[in-house]
Amino acid sequence: MSFITKVKNDFTLISVLLIPVAVAINFVGFQLAQALKLPMYLDSIGTMLVGLIAGPWVGAATGLLTNLINGIFNPVYFAFIPIAILIGVLAGLFSKHKMMLGPIKIGICVVLMTLILTVAQAPIIVYVFGGATGTGSAAITAAFLASGKQIWESVFSSTIIAELSDKGISLVTAFFIAKSMSSRYLSKFKYGEQYMKKNKKTNIDDIV
Amino acid sequence: MSKRIDLVNNLYPTTKFIGVIVIILSAFIVPGWKYSYSIFFVCALIALGSGKLKSYLIITVNSLLVLILLIFLMQSILIPSKEILYKIGFINVYKDGFYQALNLSSKLVAFTSAFILFFRVTTVKDFILSLENMGLHPKVTYVIMSTLQLIPEMKKEAGVISDAQKTRGVETEGNIFVRAKAFVPVLIPLVLSSIAKTEERAITLESRAFSSGAKKTRLYNIKKTRNDTIAIIILVVFLILCIGWRVLTIWHF
Repeated sequence: MSFITKVKNDFTLISVLLIPVAVAINFVGFQLAQALKLPMYLDSIGTMLVGLIAGPWVGAATGLLTNLINGIFNPVYFAFIPIAILIGVLAGLFSKHKMMLGPIKIGICVVLMTLILTVAQAPIIVYVFGGATGTGSAAITAAFLASGKQIWESVFSSTIIAELSDKGISLVTAFFIAKSMSSRYLSKFKYGEQYMKKNKKTNIDDIV
Repeated sequence: MSKRIDLVNNLYPTTKFIGVIVIILSAFIVPGWKYSYSIFFVCALIALGSGKLKSYLIITVNSLLVLILLIFLMQSILIPSKEILYKIGFINVYKDGFYQALNLSSKLVAFTSAFILFFRVTTVKDFILSLENMGLHPKVTYVIMSTLQLIPEMKKEAGVISDAQKTRGVETEGNIFVRAKAFVPVLIPLVLSSIAKTEERAITLESRAFSSGAKKTRLYNIKKTRNDTIAIIILVVFLILCIGWRVLTIWHF
């Protein structure tokens, strides 16, 4: 099976229909975080959720669409399209390699995601925006710069701080959402099985 | 006036999109920050001509003002270099950083204002439709259009759920941990209820043969006119002139 058909097969009708919901979850998550005055964005929970249960490619499409729609009202988001895609891909890969089982493994996933996203994001922030992003982490960058640090060092440090809390909470929330979905629904997705509740009474092996 | 409004708004969406790309390319081809900044005013003029000036200005200022101020702050004040341009009290404004900030922000202004103008004079519906005419898969069209419908709907629902949870005693004010705890009881019911709806939507769509490969018909359509051909010729000539200018300035200096 060629690569393109493999990717195409990931986009089943039910996972395609999940994309709009996931993009809306991203928007609502961001809006809620603003309303509750949390110092985080929490705007990628939907992307991660899709990545976790439907695989990296559908996750990537969700991230892309989120930033395209954000870009209609603020084209600055277009610059971060690669990052949004990467979030979906990473979440999908974590699920594919069964890394979202158990708290320690999830912790490793969060750290991995933070590091990869920081390395990917820093060049965009430095070369496109000269270190500024117009969000909260810009204040941390400015503080590091004022204390005499170099631009790259400042951007790396502030991005790691901002991403670790943001992506950590987002990934854990996405995991719990996946966990609380019904088995009937999860069974329709490629990687849904690992999030099903293990119920011994209905275990098919016991019945047979 | 009304005729002028029709002129830009009624161009075919992809023609307008080519226009945006040409404007952005020209900002990167023509050297210096003055031209790139002037794109903001050119776009404002076009917005005025198509009766969208107010929303254009509001959105541009919203998305750019803080960002540009931060760029200038970081590049020209916080990153030290040799030459000092101004001295305001104890603050030094460095020359290298100032020009770096001017260059960076000018490109950002050009890019952002062109795109904002595009989405002021083009509805997303028309734009997606023109892409579908070029061969975009109808599934993609459906996803984008239903996302745009779903976002305001789910935002409204989030408000309802958060009110409901407040009456049940979920704290939404207090220190950061209390507020963070309120995040989950609002998000999870919202997500689960909207996901349940996607199953119904899948059945509805399948019963209307959404997945069949047959050619789809539609009620709404848009057509290219003679103005589009003229606009594209003007844009191509403009781009060639820009490249020509760049080549000439390189020869001279």
